[in-house]
This record gives sequence, C-alpha cells and structure tokens, in this order.
Amino acid sequence: MRIHLTVNGTERTWDVAPGDTLLDVLRREGFVGVKKGCGAGDCGACTVLLDGRAVNACLLLAVKAEGHAVVTIEGIAQGGRLHPVQEAFLEAGAVQCGYCTPGMVLSAVSLLSHNPDPDEAEIREAISGNLCRCTGYVKQIAAIEMAAARMRESR
Amino acid sequence: MAVHQVETIVRPTSVEEAWEARRREPHASRFLAGGIDLVLYVPPTVSTLIDLSSLGIAAVRQEGADVVIGAMATLTDVLESPLVGEFAGGFLRDVLRHVASPLQRNAATLGGAAVRAHPWSDVIPGLLVLGARLDVFDGKRSTVDLSDARARSESPSPLVLAVRLPGASRDGGGAFEKFARTGFDVGVLNCACFAIIERGLCRTARVAVGGTPSVAQRLPRVEETLVGKPLSASQIALAAQTAAGVVDVRDDRRATAEYRRVLTVVGVRRCLENIAGLGTEVKE
Repeated sequence: MRIHLTVNGTERTWDVAPGDTLLDVLRREGFVGVKKGCGAGDCGACTVLLDGRAVNACLLLAVKAEGHAVVTIEGIAQGGRLHPVQEAFLEAGAVQCGYCTPGMVLSAVSLLSHNPDPDEAEIREAISGNLCRCTGYVKQIAAIEMAAARMRESR
Repeated sequence: MAVHQVETIVRPTSVEEAWEARRREPHASRFLAGGIDLVLYVPPTVSTLIDLSSLGIAAVRQEGADVVIGAMATLTDVLESPLVGEFAGGFLRDVLRHVASPLQRNAATLGGAAVRAHPWSDVIPGLLVLGARLDVFDGKRSTVDLSDARARSESPSPLVLAVRLPGASRDGGGAFEKFARTGFDVGVLNCACFAIIERGLCRTARVAVGGTPSVAQRLPRVEETLVGKPLSASQIALAAQTAAGVVDVRDDRRATAEYRRVLTVVGVRRCLENIAGLGTEVKE
C-alpha cells in the first residue's frame, strides 16, 4: 500500500507493507540515523519526531505516519549548522559509542520545543525512554541543560 | 520488527464503517488506535487492522459536568489537557505521569489503554477510582461503566469512542502510588484511591489495586470502611489493613504474594494520606 508523509521537510510517497513499522521503512529508505535496538520500545534508539513529538519508530506502523510530518536525526541540522542540542552533546562529551545518541538528541529536541526551561527532573523524565549503556546520563543531562540555555538566549 | 501477518489496513471514515469492518471479521481483525500494543502482541489470527485515525475521536471536551476524552487522544494529549488538569485536582494527569516513557505516551491512546487493560496497567486503577465510563458503539451508541465493559466477553467487543470522567467525581481528590524504580518500569503493584469529602467525612471513597499481578480491581470492603468516616490516621490505618486482607495477590517473577500484600498496606495508606493532606474540597 502507498503512504504519503513528510520526512525532514520533504514530501514522500512510499510503498509499504501493511505490517511494516516506521523504523523498517525509514531505514530501508536510507534514513539509517534511526537506529534499530530492542524493537520493543524499551531502548529508544529508534526515536523520531512525529508532528514534533518523540515516538518509538519501532512501535509505530508505517501506515500510522500517513499525512504526518516525521523528523529523523538527519533532519534537524539547518543550513549546514548542527542543531543546538547536537552541538551541546559534542561540547559536553555526551557521546560515547553513539548508538543511543540520535534518539537521545531527538527526545531532547522534543522536550525543548514544548518546554524551553526544563529542570533536571523534567530532563530525566524526557529521556527516560532512551537507554544509554555507556554512560551514567550525567553528560547528556548537562548537554540538554546547555542547549536549553543557549536556545533561550537566542530567542 | 514488521508484523508480517498483517495483510490489510482498513481506513474507515465513520464509526459505522469501522464497526461494520470489525463485525465482518471478528477473529481476523482488530481496531488500530496507537498501535503500540498490536506491534508487540498482535494475535496470530489477525490479518486486518482497522485504523481509527480518521474517525475524529481524539478531542478532549467538556460535556455538561463530564470531561469526555476521545479514545484516540494520546496519553500526552490527556496529560496536557487543561480540562483534565482541572478535574478532580488533576488526579488523572498525575496518574499518567507514572505511565511508561514520554516516547510511548506520545503514541499510546487512552482508548487503547482502557481496552487492553494489561495486568500491569497504571491507567486502569486511575480510571476505575474516578468512576470512568466508556462511550461505545456496537451498532448503536451507549455509555457503559468501565468495570462493566471489562467484564463483558462478546466478540467483537464494542468500539470505544471515548472515556468519560463523570462530573460527580469532579470535586474529589485522588492519589496514585506505583511501586517501581521508574515510571518506565512495570510496577510490582499499583494503587489508586479517590475520595469526596463533605463536612470532614468521606461521602465517596474508591480504592483500586492493580498489578497484583492481575489487572486492577476495586476493593469495595475497603471503600465501605471509609464512607461516612473522617480520613483520620486511624481510619486510614484500618482501611490499609482491610485492603491487605481482601486484595487478591499472587506470586510471579516480579514479587511474591506476601510482598504484594505488604505493598498494598503501604500503597493504600500513602494514597489516603496524600488525599487527606491535599485537603480535598470541603463543601458546606
């Protein structure tokens, strides 16, 4: 069957199987920044934004994206410049193996778009569905706080 | 992982059309709401999914004194709804903060959570103590108590259109307790209490315990100990001990029945203390 959606600002029409997940389809179409981890909604490596909200692409049937706007990690840099959350992750050293990073960054982007001044508890809650096995989350939280401050200043 | 057995997606644009599609294939079809649950646990006989996205049943609205939450509203929609935030001191909003991760709350629907009613569901005890009702369609529209709907066994079960928070619960106060490391974890036990207090006495009291490991049930004998009484420390202690005596707990890989019984005492006590501490509106 055919679905119509917007991915990273570009309209797409894709043929999908009725039981394909959005994760399957995005990776097949070349958006490999969307990582495949547990396939059960536990790890958050497959996080994408659906109409601005972070969701597990592994738990979303592709047909549910019909008519919606999807943003992957490939789509948040603008004009060759990294998103402030990406920059902050680099500066704070919030990346080790990097497998969880796209999902973690998108959860942070989703949080900051709805709550520009989150406290630490709100940040922890926002990334509670993104598991990182390398770190203790300290640097990621620092990075999100840094990005939030910079984004507020630039408004 | 793709759900290979699904061969057909039906996209009805009316409630009647959706019901007819479901009725035509009661064993081979399921309604598709958020879809999280179906991706993980689709029954082996199911090859057709009926996508409810185009039915226009996602809004949260006021209807008289009731707050009516469209079945396709996501848990995040509900959590952020001002109408839900104002209802019963924002109790349902507080419950939903304990449910899964934001990633899942952004996709899971309240209707789906009410229908699936997993044993570990944190949503069900909250809805039960609010006295939630379901607007359903099975060829005709009707409204049924959530607890009655869960007891029915017809196939196919009715299409849930909305979850209705009854206006009679608006002025009460509730509290929720989940025993887990984080909201993302499946709890070892959960507990919800709700009370309406008038002139210092409980006019209405509802208590539900879930994850026992069965799905949440109300505990009428505990509620009877509270109605007409003040929410005093001694009354709360009595209610908590009564709960431990009547709750139906079992062993599973997460906890023993004995531990769950102890948690029931703690959960009921904490919830009732929270309600008493919140100073639920006293009506003159």
